[in-house]
Amino acid sequence: MFRELLGGLRTTMRAMTTKPVTIQYPEEQRTVPPRHRGRHILHRYDNGLEKCIGCELCAGACPVGCIYVQAAENDPQHPVSPGERYAVRYEINLMRCIYCGYCAEACPTEAITLGPRLDLSDYKRERLVATKDDLLEAWPGFRPLSQGAGEGTGSPAPQPTPLGAGSEHRGPAGRAPGLNPPIPVRPDEGRGTPPV
Amino acid sequence: MAAVEAPGELLRVTIDDRQVEVAPGSLVWDACEKAGVYVPVYCAHKKLEPVAVCRMCLVEIEGMPKLQPACATRVSQGMQIRTATDQVRDFRRGNLEFLLLNHPLDCPVCDRGGECDLQDFTQRYGPGRTRSAITDKVHFDKAVRLSDRILLDQERCILCWRCVRYYEEVTGEREIVLQERGVHTLVDTFEHRELQSEFQGNLPEICPVGALTHAQYRFRARPWDLRRTASVCPKCSYGCNIFIDAREEQIARFASNDNPDVDDSWLCDRGRYSFPELNRTERVLNPEARLGGGRQPVAHSEALARAAGALLRVRGDHGAGAVGFLCSPQVTNEEGFLLQWLARQVVGSPHLDHRLEPLPELSPEQFRLGIAELEERDAVVVLGDAPERSAPVLTLRLFKTETKRRRRVLRVPLGTPAASLLEPLQGCRSVGVVAHQEQRSEAVALSRSLAGAGLSSSVLTLVEGMNARGCQDLGVSPAVLPGYQPAAEPGMHGRAILEAAAAGSIKALVLLSPDPEWERDPAFEAALSEVEALIVVTPWLGLASRQATVLFPGRTVAEKAGTVTSTEGRVQRVRTALQPRFPFPPDLRVLGELGGALGTPLGVQPLAGPVFSLIAEAVPPYRGTQGGLRADWGAPA
Ligand code: SF4
Ligand code: SF4
Ligand code: SF4
Ligand code: SF4
Ligand code: FES
Repeated sequence: MFRELLGGLRTTMRAMTTKPVTIQYPEEQRTVPPRHRGRHILHRYDNGLEKCIGCELCAGACPVGCIYVQAAENDPQHPVSPGERYAVRYEINLMRCIYCGYCAEACPTEAITLGPRLDLSDYKRERLVATKDDLLEAWPGFRPLSQGAGEGTGSPAPQPTPLGAGSEHRGPAGRAPGLNPPIPVRPDEGRGTPPV
Repeated sequence: MAAVEAPGELLRVTIDDRQVEVAPGSLVWDACEKAGVYVPVYCAHKKLEPVAVCRMCLVEIEGMPKLQPACATRVSQGMQIRTATDQVRDFRRGNLEFLLLNHPLDCPVCDRGGECDLQDFTQRYGPGRTRSAITDKVHFDKAVRLSDRILLDQERCILCWRCVRYYEEVTGEREIVLQERGVHTLVDTFEHRELQSEFQGNLPEICPVGALTHAQYRFRARPWDLRRTASVCPKCSYGCNIFIDAREEQIARFASNDNPDVDDSWLCDRGRYSFPELNRTERVLNPEARLGGGRQPVAHSEALARAAGALLRVRGDHGAGAVGFLCSPQVTNEEGFLLQWLARQVVGSPHLDHRLEPLPELSPEQFRLGIAELEERDAVVVLGDAPERSAPVLTLRLFKTETKRRRRVLRVPLGTPAASLLEPLQGCRSVGVVAHQEQRSEAVALSRSLAGAGLSSSVLTLVEGMNARGCQDLGVSPAVLPGYQPAAEPGMHGRAILEAAAAGSIKALVLLSPDPEWERDPAFEAALSEVEALIVVTPWLGLASRQATVLFPGRTVAEKAGTVTSTEGRVQRVRTALQPRFPFPPDLRVLGELGGALGTPLGVQPLAGPVFSLIAEAVPPYRGTQGGLRADWGAPA
């Protein structure tokens, strides 16, 4: 019986001396792979115009139907996006989304991509319907794509995260800024080309 | 091929190993459709003459060295047609490649994306990529405002001529022309004038691509967002068939739903663009009742009990004749029938109407002539311009009768004596008389005199209001019972009811979907402020909803199910296209339950189907008509 007891204790002692696998989440965040498919981001062009043109192709491609887009006509004096059309309302039901990335695939302007944000929980269901304000890159002050962490690796650059200072989104990931430090994205280690 | 066929004999043709028989004179396209073989077309349109300009429909016909356009080639006996050969496939691919050469392909911002023939055919038959090295496409203007209703994207036009031919063949107004030549050809209005037509809304529907679009539908929705419900246009009594396309319980557009007997697939702009009024969100949302000083929301059952109580009290104190019933012609047949049941059978009052002005001398003789039958008459006499102002789509039918069917259409001023018509009608054997309802007696008299002169003649009058004809058929009128039986003791007409209410002899009023227009009438206001009990079922906020003692939230035409009767006596279905924003029972149920609360149960469920059986029992011509047939009122006496 002692033998078994000692065996158990040894396991315990060994665990006490090794480095823990847990982290101080949410103060600390895990590094996510560059192609992680987390909460969506709506991008802007470098001049601040929104890339999204409200075409609803993402909504059409979405297998679960969790995207809602309402388009409208741009005012030529104060355009929201280049061209005639933009999205006045853009909403994604994050509870229903299966993070398949089809929306990003379908988008003709590369306006939507899936980002690193993965801590999607809330006390209120309604707040898990991300609105355009939640999803859109902040302006001014967002990190343009050209300075992204994965620059020069020959693969799509990792998403600039809109979660830094100046970000004004409410909703799922946006509350209590102190608890939501930027999520580090691991540099792309040659995983740009998917296995054939 | 040279075989001579007897006229009327069916021709046997083979299409991709399928044999069909078609009438002589049919197009290869029709034969393909009959055989169930799909042929892509751009310029061809079922309602327009063939021009064969787009070359999309080319097929192989044995014995002919080159491909032939299916849309313009007539069949002959024993024709062998092939649509799936390599040559046809190659040609389609090449044709699409040419069409896309200068096409902007801005599908993501194009309103047609998702229901565009260019997208569909490219997907199905197209090359997928271009071989040409042209990077600089020919550009034209985008979003050109042709009028406040129609936008034109000249780049997206594939020059199919449909819009030009529509204006030439269907309306005769010729407002759109093709300009320039070759690669610079573009569609525009003549000298950039604004479109004036009353039928512009049909343009985006016939355009196979996203060149012509509705200003009102601009960026509203994608086709996959829309829920489509077949219904009837609510704007006039003509009964044009429509699709209500709704997105999130809001109507995004009305689209035409071809019924060759009524609208022939065309709608007028007044009807097509009328839906924003049905999208209004300021609505009556709760049953309410006047309790003590003010009015408060109450439960539906309590509102019913209070309405019944008020009516019983007035009938007890002042007799049944102190209760008046009014509805607008926007009610369905079922609702109208139950309102007249409530008035005559339950309460026992003869005072009931579907409009304010009196309407004596109603008879089925006033609409014996059907809309489609106009084309079969040797001549059509139209009295004044009121019929076409009341139902604009009638103009297109008359134009077709005149141009395509080559009949005589005489537009004569009111009061034209029959004798002066005999000369222009020389040589005609049958004639149709079209008039507004206000001229019903004149029209019937004219028709009788023409019949006296040896012509076979009948009348079509145009009534005012979506279901005015149904209200008249079903006796929602003071002088006639259902089926045009004369009432033993005729009641007061609408305005007389209001005046009696203002004078104090009518103590209770029941209003079902009152016409918002009535609020401008001082008599309406006076009546509403004087009556003791005012029971209102209405969707809209206004004078009636403010003054009501008991108020029920009503439904708009887009929110209810039932039948309506068009001016030619055609009984057509309206269907629930939108869910109302409140959970309370529909108007029909309110009427049925009110009868029950007053002590006379209806006997059937207050739903459209069972109530229609009651109607069919009371008015035999309505039997079996609810699928869109005209009620048959028998031969003229
Ligand atoms: S990731 Fe997939 S499920 Fe989620 S919104 Fe995009 S398409 Fe829809
Ligand atoms: S995100 Fe892309 S696909 Fe979706 S509406 Fe905007 S532009 Fe279209
Ligand atoms: S007309 Fe058709 S193919 Fe052309 S941009 Fe519009 S949707 Fe695309
Ligand atoms: S505007 Fe449309 S209907 Fe007119 S020619 Fe061009 S493609 Fe055809
Ligand atoms: S459809 Fe036959 S040539 Fe255009």
